[in-house]
Amino acid sequence: MATTLQFALPSIAGRRRRPDSRSINRPVRCAADRQALFNRIAPVYDNLNDLFSLGRHRVWKRMTVSWSGVKEGDTVLDVCCGSGDLAFLLSEKVGITGKLRFEGVIAMKFDQTDSYLTEALCLELVEFWQDLRVIALDFSREQLQIAASRQSERSKACYKNIEWIEGDAVELPFSKSSFDAATIGYGLRNIVDRRKAMEEMYKVLKPGSKVSILDFNKSTSSLNSSIQDWMIDYIVVPIASGYGLANEYHYLKNSIKEYLTGNELEKLAGEVGFSEAKFYEIGAGFMGNLVATR
Amino acid sequence: MVRRSGVLLKSAATGISSRLAEILVCPLTKQPLRMCEKTNSLISDSIGVSYPIVEWIPRLVPSDGIILQSDQDLNSSDSPQTNSS
Repeated sequence: MATTLQFALPSIAGRRRRPDSRSINRPVRCAADRQALFNRIAPVYDNLNDLFSLGRHRVWKRMTVSWSGVKEGDTVLDVCCGSGDLAFLLSEKVGITGKLRFEGVIAMKFDQTDSYLTEALCLELVEFWQDLRVIALDFSREQLQIAASRQSERSKACYKNIEWIEGDAVELPFSKSSFDAATIGYGLRNIVDRRKAMEEMYKVLKPGSKVSILDFNKSTSSLNSSIQDWMIDYIVVPIASGYGLANEYHYLKNSIKEYLTGNELEKLAGEVGFSEAKFYEIGAGFMGNLVATR
Repeated sequence: MVRRSGVLLKSAATGISSRLAEILVCPLTKQPLRMCEKTNSLISDSIGVSYPIVEWIPRLVPSDGIILQSDQDLNSSDSPQTNSS
């Protein structure tokens, strides 16, 4: 008889909580809480990203992909892929290749008068091997379902080269030195054990490859921090309330406060073993992108 | 005459490519996984755990793993080992 592997994590996945004053300041501490949060916001995640950033998140994500150094033919990893924005951008960069194997049969045909031979070459396309190019991983089942749906709706051939994996960023299910580049978009901030996640990414990258990590910037400027807090309190949370997700987006403010500054991220990357690490502030200093080289 | 039978080199049952199966390892042990089309899962023989594949998406969060308790469960595969270390 099979037994489900049990871990000592509270199981609240799938339960919707009504926002109320008792729960508004409940910290979203453990990984299971965060997993449940991202499952709950999955249906509106894309729309709210567009709304809150006025579409700018698309530009920042293109910058993240560019910084990753990804090129045609690479095999790349997107961690915390969510609904797939970065994965789709990566797949456009790496393209699609295939290999054809033919079995040829020559059939000789004689016409009725035997005056000439006709020759027909029968080609049978027996296999089309599609190179795997983009692997996208997330721990939210709902986000992955949306990503897979978006993939099936899109017509570009290159999007077929994405494989979705349900997995944990701190226990990556990949062999060492498997990837030519990696990205994480708005994911590292949400990971409880960020050091472990960085260690895992280090291991799965090939030597000389880069990881490009986009997220909110925990600014050292008090003006920037104040403006960021104001925008979350008076724009993001009220809009999210309309979707019944006030608590989920209130979490955003605390998560930025608990995140690392650019300097701290560079330091962490160095401690984990990356040979180079550089943090870039973008989006008027509200966003940041760490680029670390294995 | 040209006859086309384009078939992606994917497992018909699991829907994951053999190339992906080469990269995937057990998230806990980092050892290779064995694809099992009969149970539509990826087996970590080193710890006797099975990870399901649902709608072509492998579920490789450690808590998704199912402990295989019998030798019959462990041997219930019609696929040879597809991974290399």
